[in-house]
Amino acid sequence: MRLTRAQRHLLDEGTDAQRKAMEILLTVGRLADAPRLVPITSAHVSGASYKMIGDPGLEFLEDFARDARVSVPTTVNPLGTDLAQWRELGVPAAFAEKQGRIARAYETMGVRPTFSCTPYLVGVRPAFGEHAAWAESNAVVFANSVLGARTNREGGPAALAAAIVGATPEYGLHTDEGREPTVIVKVRARPRGIDYSLIGLVAGERVGDGLPYFRGFRGTEGDLKWLGAALASSGACGMFHLEGVTPEAREARVKGLKSITITPKDLIAAKRAHTDGTEADLIGLGSPQLSAEELQAIARLIDRKPPRIPVWVFTSRVVRDANPDAVGIIERRGGRVLADTCLEVTLLEHRFSTVATPSGKGAYYLPSLCKQKVIFDDVETLLERYA
Amino acid sequence: MKIRARGIVPGRASGTAIASPVSFSFVGGVDPANGSILEDATGIAGERLEGRVFAFPTGKGSTVGSYVLYGLQKRGHGPAAIVNRRTDAVVAVGATLAGIPVVDRVDVGGLRTGDRIVVDANRGSVDLPDVKGKRVVTAILRNRGRILIVRRSKKVGAFQGRWSAISGHIEGREDPKHRAIVEVREETGLRGIVFRSAGDPVLARDGATMYIVHPFLFDAPSRRVRLDWENVEHRWIRPEELARFKTVPRLPDVVAAVLGPPA
Repeated sequence: MRLTRAQRHLLDEGTDAQRKAMEILLTVGRLADAPRLVPITSAHVSGASYKMIGDPGLEFLEDFARDARVSVPTTVNPLGTDLAQWRELGVPAAFAEKQGRIARAYETMGVRPTFSCTPYLVGVRPAFGEHAAWAESNAVVFANSVLGARTNREGGPAALAAAIVGATPEYGLHTDEGREPTVIVKVRARPRGIDYSLIGLVAGERVGDGLPYFRGFRGTEGDLKWLGAALASSGACGMFHLEGVTPEAREARVKGLKSITITPKDLIAAKRAHTDGTEADLIGLGSPQLSAEELQAIARLIDRKPPRIPVWVFTSRVVRDANPDAVGIIERRGGRVLADTCLEVTLLEHRFSTVATPSGKGAYYLPSLCKQKVIFDDVETLLERYA
Repeated sequence: MKIRARGIVPGRASGTAIASPVSFSFVGGVDPANGSILEDATGIAGERLEGRVFAFPTGKGSTVGSYVLYGLQKRGHGPAAIVNRRTDAVVAVGATLAGIPVVDRVDVGGLRTGDRIVVDANRGSVDLPDVKGKRVVTAILRNRGRILIVRRSKKVGAFQGRWSAISGHIEGREDPKHRAIVEVREETGLRGIVFRSAGDPVLARDGATMYIVHPFLFDAPSRRVRLDWENVEHRWIRPEELARFKTVPRLPDVVAAVLGPPA
């Protein structure tokens, strides 16, 4: 890989962490045959939930934080619990203590303590054509597809290395070629509610690590967030195009591509395939964390139909703090608004066995990551059912 | 013998090998406290990684594996080097954090637990000082979906009576593909064969000898075969039937290298 003089300097004479970060980028670049490193304007790192990375991750991060400092604006993924409410959630003290140490290690490195899987909702929105190094698959898909920024699906340590160096290996979704669609996905449905998640789940399964070009429907930025999160869960996709909607769809080359079709029948089958529970003991809303608009909409719904089982609403600390009215309504009606964490990386398995959720990403991961059975349905339907 | 490899994480190390025939996860696959292998499917459960050259086809499983590898090395229980068929990002990043040399593009099926190995990721090579390498070609001939296998005569130097594909030693610096075409002509009398593809080398182990097999696929215009002294019998079979024959080592892998894995 060709290095600039500054990059060469980091590799030869940087701090321990700078040298290690350069080595990580060289390794990743070598695996991908990348010709060089491309400068980035932001980074988003994953690997912050103690439930997910455990003692091995904590040990590495504390070691690394001794002299690692990020050089571009960097945000970080959700933790394994809400730092302010963990006691009320029944989280063991040892878990919370280690979780706090992970959070401090990231802060020491200069990472903004957003603890959010939706950096694009907390003020980090790279412009069209800008390069970034984001881990967290839903954020990667959103940045590439909706914003037209350029990032690969980075692993946690690779994104952290990129944040320290301020550059990332140039391959895949950083290149024009890597952003061309590989398959046309015709959707014969008028999606609403969880249909966006269902389209994502079905397409991800069929497309694998391809790049889908969707056709046949429209959606708001909020709708595409749910589609992208589901797509990145069942598939290894880092980007999609949606005809007439996403910014790079018009220039995409679709001539001669194979085409597949998703019908309403496919969506019903996928909903059934991801529903294996009969009675929920928790309604989980989030995954990805809710936007301000989504939080307010949920507050209105819950106000009309207070639930008889616990409702945990996941959002970012930024959105929670900016919406005290919505938070107040939800909590008066018996729900909890949690920040710093998200549905499938938080500790659920110590208290619950079946979660009802309208999130495709949640429905996909809850069985394996939280040992939960799932009821997957629209939020209105769920709140009606458990009113 | 020395074989070429692709350097992934720089460095040079030597040690005795421990080899797993199956892909490996550092989460659950190894005890993070002492580096002993836990996963039974590897066939090396109970062995310790410390100071060894760890050979496995590729990494799998959780990304936390990167941190486990880092922690093992920090406590002095990590492997001296890693050899893969294809290194995945979890192992690559973990080995980088730990400073463990890694090479890939090596057919680890030819490596044995206990082999002395020198891994040089800077130059991209793997050296087995106690093993003698012999470069050979194997030509898979295909005709209307069937492939040719031949039974080796008593006059050949090795693997007498076993089923094989058309094969022969590479002499000096000659082009392997050229050697394959010559062998087909000599051993079958077939003319007008058409080259289709070449596969990555397969390492077929026979004690202290390693056959470095260069696989080639040709389409044959007919099934009229005239054997020479090297073989006594021939059959055109469907690739999936190969499992029923007593073959030379790793012939199914050589076939898979040009035809893909059996259905």
